[in-house]
Amino acid sequence: MKQRITYVLPEGSRVESSDVKVDKDSLKFDRADEAAKEWRLTLALNDLPDEVREGCSWAVEHLANRSRCKQYSAIVMSFTVPLCDLLRKLLGVTAKCHSIQESFSSTPKIPERLAITTTWQYFQYAPLSSRLGEIFLSKACNTGHPDLDACAFAVRDLQRASYVEFDFEAIGRKLEFTAVWAPQGPKQNRAMARRATRMIRRPKTGERTEVGTLQVEKATEAEELSLGGFLTVIGEDDHPSKTLFSFPSRHHTLPGSSPVTFAASFQQPTGLHPKFQIKLPRQQLTPPKDTCGLHAYWTLPSALFIDRYQLSDPLFLASQNLVALHSLSGEQDLEAPNWVIEQWGSAALFELGAPPSSQIGSSTQKSDWIITIPTHLRYLAGPQKPTDTSGHASVDVPWPIVFWACEAEEGLEMSNNPFDRVDLGYDRLFGPQTTFYHIPPAPKVNTTVEEIKVPVLDSEKAEWVRAGTLIAVVAGFAWICWQLLRATSGQNFKAQKQKRK
Amino acid sequence: MPMLSSFFSSPWLVFGTAILFRLALLIYGRWQDANSPIKYTDIDYLVFTDAARFVARGHSPYDRATYRYTPLLAWLLIPTTWDTPAIPNHVWFDFGKLLFAAGDIATGWLIMRILVKRKGMSVQQALKYASLWLLNPMVANISTRGSSEGLLAVLVVALVWAVLEGRIRVAGMLLGLGVHFKIYPFIYAASIWWWLGSDGVPEGADVSKKIKAMFTKKRIALATNSFLTFMALNCVMYYFYGVPFIEHSYRYHFTRIDHRHNFSVYNTVLHLNSAHSTDSSFKVESIAFVPQLFLSVGVIPFLLAKKDLASTMLAQTFAFVTFNKVCTSQYFLWYMVFIPFYLPSSSMLRNSRLGLTALVLWVLGQALWLQQGFELEFNGKSTFVPGLWLASMLFFGINCWILGVIVQDVGSQAGLERTVANPQHKKDR
Repeated sequence: MKQRITYVLPEGSRVESSDVKVDKDSLKFDRADEAAKEWRLTLALNDLPDEVREGCSWAVEHLANRSRCKQYSAIVMSFTVPLCDLLRKLLGVTAKCHSIQESFSSTPKIPERLAITTTWQYFQYAPLSSRLGEIFLSKACNTGHPDLDACAFAVRDLQRASYVEFDFEAIGRKLEFTAVWAPQGPKQNRAMARRATRMIRRPKTGERTEVGTLQVEKATEAEELSLGGFLTVIGEDDHPSKTLFSFPSRHHTLPGSSPVTFAASFQQPTGLHPKFQIKLPRQQLTPPKDTCGLHAYWTLPSALFIDRYQLSDPLFLASQNLVALHSLSGEQDLEAPNWVIEQWGSAALFELGAPPSSQIGSSTQKSDWIITIPTHLRYLAGPQKPTDTSGHASVDVPWPIVFWACEAEEGLEMSNNPFDRVDLGYDRLFGPQTTFYHIPPAPKVNTTVEEIKVPVLDSEKAEWVRAGTLIAVVAGFAWICWQLLRATSGQNFKAQKQKRK
Repeated sequence: MPMLSSFFSSPWLVFGTAILFRLALLIYGRWQDANSPIKYTDIDYLVFTDAARFVARGHSPYDRATYRYTPLLAWLLIPTTWDTPAIPNHVWFDFGKLLFAAGDIATGWLIMRILVKRKGMSVQQALKYASLWLLNPMVANISTRGSSEGLLAVLVVALVWAVLEGRIRVAGMLLGLGVHFKIYPFIYAASIWWWLGSDGVPEGADVSKKIKAMFTKKRIALATNSFLTFMALNCVMYYFYGVPFIEHSYRYHFTRIDHRHNFSVYNTVLHLNSAHSTDSSFKVESIAFVPQLFLSVGVIPFLLAKKDLASTMLAQTFAFVTFNKVCTSQYFLWYMVFIPFYLPSSSMLRNSRLGLTALVLWVLGQALWLQQGFELEFNGKSTFVPGLWLASMLFFGINCWILGVIVQDVGSQAGLERTVANPQHKKDR
C-alpha cells in the first residue's frame, strides 16, 4: 500500500518551511485547513476486502487473457454480478443496476482514438453511502490507532469529499483510490478538521507515505499548471525538500479575473416536454483561445430523454441557440415508458451557440444569453407511497457541465500531470490533445440539481377506472348489437314506414 | 345556389380545385419548413424518407428507429432520395407528399365513378358527395403533411370498385396488398365474403350440400387471390429483410400497448395495468379484441353486407377503430373515406338535425379530450384520471351512438345490392 497526500494552497499564498514539522514517523502541516487536499492510496489486490477482491481478480484473469478471448462483451456480461452488487451497496437500493449489459450504457467510439475496448458508463444522482470507505478500505486501514491514523480518519471523512475515484489497473493488479477535499469553509468543521488533518502518521506496516505541501504558482507556459512548496517522504526524510514543478493540464479554470458562471433551470410549467435553459452572461462570454467551442455535457436519468431527430434540423437548433448535438449515448427509445427501461439513462454532448462577437463587450446587451435544450419525459409509474395523492412524482436532474473545449498546444504531454484525470465521460468524446476550460455553476440555491414534478397516473383511482371502462365497453357493445338486431329484424315494417314519408 | 350547383356539375372544376388546394398546401408547407422551427411536415414523413434513404443505399429500412411499416412504402419513396441536375434533392424530397396527395385525388375520382355507375347518381350529385373527401381540409392536410393514410384510401376504394364491378381476382389482389400494408383491411374480407352470397340450394338439401354451396367460385377466388398476394409480398420482403420485417411490420402492431395517451377507451386501463401490474389486474389486453372483432368481422358484415357493401365497410371500420386499444386521429381517415357512399341513404342527411348533432358531438368529444391532453403535455397537470379517462369514455359513447345510427340505417335498407350481373338500380333520394 502506498499513500500520497497533497495539500494545495491557492495562488498568492506561500508555504513556509516552518509550517511543516517533520518527525521520525509523522508530519504536521499547520495550514491544512486552508488547503485543498488530495489523498491517493495505491492498494494491491490482497489489501482489498474479500467481496471487492473477488470481482477484481475475476476481471484480472479474464482481461489478461483478452487476446485469446474472442467475445469481449461476454467478459463484461459475466462481470456484472460483483459490480452491480457493489454499486447497490454504495448507492443504496435505488441504484438501477441489474447487470452491466442491461444497465450500463456504452460510449460511442471516436475514430481518431485508438481505444479498442468499449467504455461502459453509469450515472446516478444519489448520496454516497457512508459505508463507502469501510467497503473498500476496511482491510487496508486496520492498522494503528484510529484517531491518529490518517487512513482511518480519511475513511470516515469521505462523506465530505468533493469526489472519490477508483482506478483499477488489471495488468498491475492494483487499485488506485483517490479522494479530494475542497478547502474548509469559514468556520464549519474547522475544529474537527484541524485536529485530524494536521498530523499524518506513517502506518505501522511501514508503507511509503509521501506528503506534498504546495501552493499554486503562476505558470510560465500556456496551458500548464505550476506548483511550488515542499515534498516529504515520512520516515525517509528528516526535513521537507523544496520543490517547484510545472506540468501540462487538460482541465483549467477560465483565465482572467472575470467570474463567468452559468445558471440553469427548467422552464415552468414543464409539462411532459421540459425545456432546460442554461443562462450565461452575454458580455463576458469570450473563448479563451481561437480554436474553442462552447460545450455542455449532460447526464439524464432514464425518466428524461432527448430526441436526436428533433435536434438534427439546423433552423431549429439555431432558434434554441444550439450548434449541434455531437453525441448521445444510453437509452434513446422515444416511446417506451420508464418502467420498462433498464438502462440508467442517457448522456449527451452539446455544442452551444455563443453570442455573436459583436454583442460581447457591448454595454447595450445586458440580458443573459439563454440556451435551451428540449427534452421529453417518459411515463413514470405512480408514487410509491400510497399517501401521496398529488398525482405527481418527482425526478432529480443534475446540472450539466459547461466548458470551452480547445485544441491544446502542440507537443503537450498530458500524462505527465501527476493529478491527471481521464475518463470523465466527456473527455473521450474529444481528440486526445484537447484542453477544457470550465465554467462553474452559480446556483441561486445551494444545489446544482433540478427537481421536476412529473404528472403520473395515480393508482388510487384504479378500481374506478377498471370497473368504469368495463361497464362502458359492455354498454356500448350491447347498444350496437341491439340497434343491429332491431334494424334487420324489423326491416319490413321500416320499409313501409319510409314509403309513407 | 346556382353558382354552387354549376360548380359541382363540372368534374374539371371540382378536381381542379382539389388539385390546386393540395398544391397550395404543399407550397405553403415548403415555406413553413424553411422558415420556421415548427415544421409543417409530419414526423412520420421524416421516418419514411429516412428509411427510403437507407434502402437507396442498399440497407434495410428497419435501420431507421420507429419505422413500423412495410418496406414497400420505403421503396415507393426512393425518389425522395434522388438528386438530378434538373430537379435538386430538396424538391425530390417532397415526392412522397405529392404521391399521397395524388392518391387522394385518385380516391375522389374512384368514389365519383362508383356513385355514378353503381348508385345511379348524376355526375353533379356524385361530385357533391365525392367532395366530402376531395375538398375536405382535414384529408388534404394529412396527405400534404406526408402521412401515408391516403394510399390506404385508394386501395380500399379501389377494392370496393373491383368488387362492385365483379372483378373478384383484382379485388383479391387489392385485399392482399391492403393487409400487407396496414393489416386492418382484413376485416373487409368478411363483408365481401357475405356480399358475394352463397349458391342457391334446392329445398331440403342436406347439410353437406349447404356447406358446399357456401364456397362459391367467387368466394374461393377472393380467398385464394388475397392469400396468395399477401404471402407473395411477405415472402419477398422476408427474403430481403428477414426477421426485422416480421418484427416491425406485424408483430409490433399486435403487441404494442401505447401507453402514451390516445383517444382509445382502453388507454387509461392499459396504462394502469402496465405501470402497476398486480395479480388481480384483469387482462384487458387479451380480451379487448373480442368485442372489436365480434362487431367488425362478425355480426356487422354478416347482417349488413348484402344490403350495401360500402356502408357496411364504413360500419365495420368504425367499429374496429372505436373498440381498438389504440386510437389516434389518423385512424379516422380509415372510415371517413366511406362516408360519401353511406351518406346518400343515411338518416343523418334526411334528418339534418340528427346529422348536425352527430357531427358536432364527434368534434366536441375530440375537443374535450384534446383540452385535457393539452393540460397534461404542456401544463404538466395530472389529468390522466379523471380528465382524460372521462373524455375518452365520452368520446367512446358518442362513437357508439353514431355507429348505432349507422347500423340502423344500413340494416333497415330494403332490397339488396347487386353486381353487374343482376343490375337493380337504387332510386336516388
